[in-house]
Amino acid sequence: MKNTDYILAALFTLCFVVCGAQEILNVTISSNFIFGGGQQSNFATLSLQPIAIIDAEPDPSNTISFGLNSSTLEAGLPATGIGGIATNDNIWLNYTYRASNLANAKIYVRTNQIVPAGIVLKIQVITATSIGGSFIANQNSSPITLSTTEQILINSFASGYTGNGLGTGYNLRITVENQSGLSLPSGFEIIYEIK
Amino acid sequence: MKNLFIITVSFLLSFSYSQAQILAGTLNVTGMPSFTQSVNAVVVEAGIDDATVGFESNFDATKIGFVLDPILLVSSSLLCEQNVYRYSVYINSVNAPANIILEAKTTVNSGIRFPTVSIYDTLLIKPLGQRNLTPSNGGNYIVVPNNPTQAVKIMEFIGCRKDIPIQFRIKPSSLCPAGIYNIEINYTVIASLTL
Repeated sequence: MKNTDYILAALFTLCFVVCGAQEILNVTISSNFIFGGGQQSNFATLSLQPIAIIDAEPDPSNTISFGLNSSTLEAGLPATGIGGIATNDNIWLNYTYRASNLANAKIYVRTNQIVPAGIVLKIQVITATSIGGSFIANQNSSPITLSTTEQILINSFASGYTGNGLGTGYNLRITVENQSGLSLPSGFEIIYEIK
Repeated sequence: MKNLFIITVSFLLSFSYSQAQILAGTLNVTGMPSFTQSVNAVVVEAGIDDATVGFESNFDATKIGFVLDPILLVSSSLLCEQNVYRYSVYINSVNAPANIILEAKTTVNSGIRFPTVSIYDTLLIKPLGQRNLTPSNGGNYIVVPNNPTQAVKIMEFIGCRKDIPIQFRIKPSSLCPAGIYNIEINYTVIASLTL
């Protein structure tokens, strides 16, 4: 062997000794620590809060506007809505839920005020998608006619999270049937509740 | 050159595999970490996993130390002064709930040398280097494996040492139900004469 070979071999051995320290250890092999080492344990307690938060995206600009197009109004002709029926498919429902006592939750929907006569508001889950979320979709796919009475929008689900923002969670379709071009009262809201 | 190579390799390997000569010591673990999630430590944006937030224990939720056992009339202090080894500390957990990430860390030179002053410190050439503590991952958090057999190295120190603080961080996924859990945390120390 050349001298350089011996030097390289010695350096390799040195590196094996110095650099080869294991970061992971099999702690069940007592010979690893029985000579001059030791093993002990203690106990930690962990207390986690329940979580139930829900959001209608886009947030905060999730106001839905329906109404007459003033540029098409003409004196002497009937004032009608946009074909009388308008839809909005751009609302996404996000949630994060951590169950307490393994209890499943549901998402309910209602309005905070009475829907005026002559207007029909419907809501429907049209799809469920997960981007960076972890949940099992279980929506009520039937259209729901909104009122002040809460109705089930998402059926029973366990702990999970949908991912945040547009394009993830539950995609809602909101339909307004407003043949007479009526207005909703000021402060009218659609309320989603997770419980 | 050949003889020099053989001597070098033998010298290095003798350091690695001479653990049987290392004196016995005692690993002392004190403190019972309590991880209580406050409402301020919970995710606030719907759709995002709670594991993105996380919360920490006190910096000294647990303290560990390792000193050599006294032999007859020779005290631990004297033995630690005369017998300086390298100690590697590994950590793992058992029975942590699923979907929880437990992390641990300590800081550079945390804890107290034992004894605080030693003849070893005055040596011109210190075989194992200064009696310092070097945390793994540069003192940043390390994920603690929730595995009864595999532990990860959290730190190493030269010479006996006491009151080394260990801080923990919990990243609980929303998938983990709310409640109170007990987690066993194991500490394993390996002594060596390795460079």
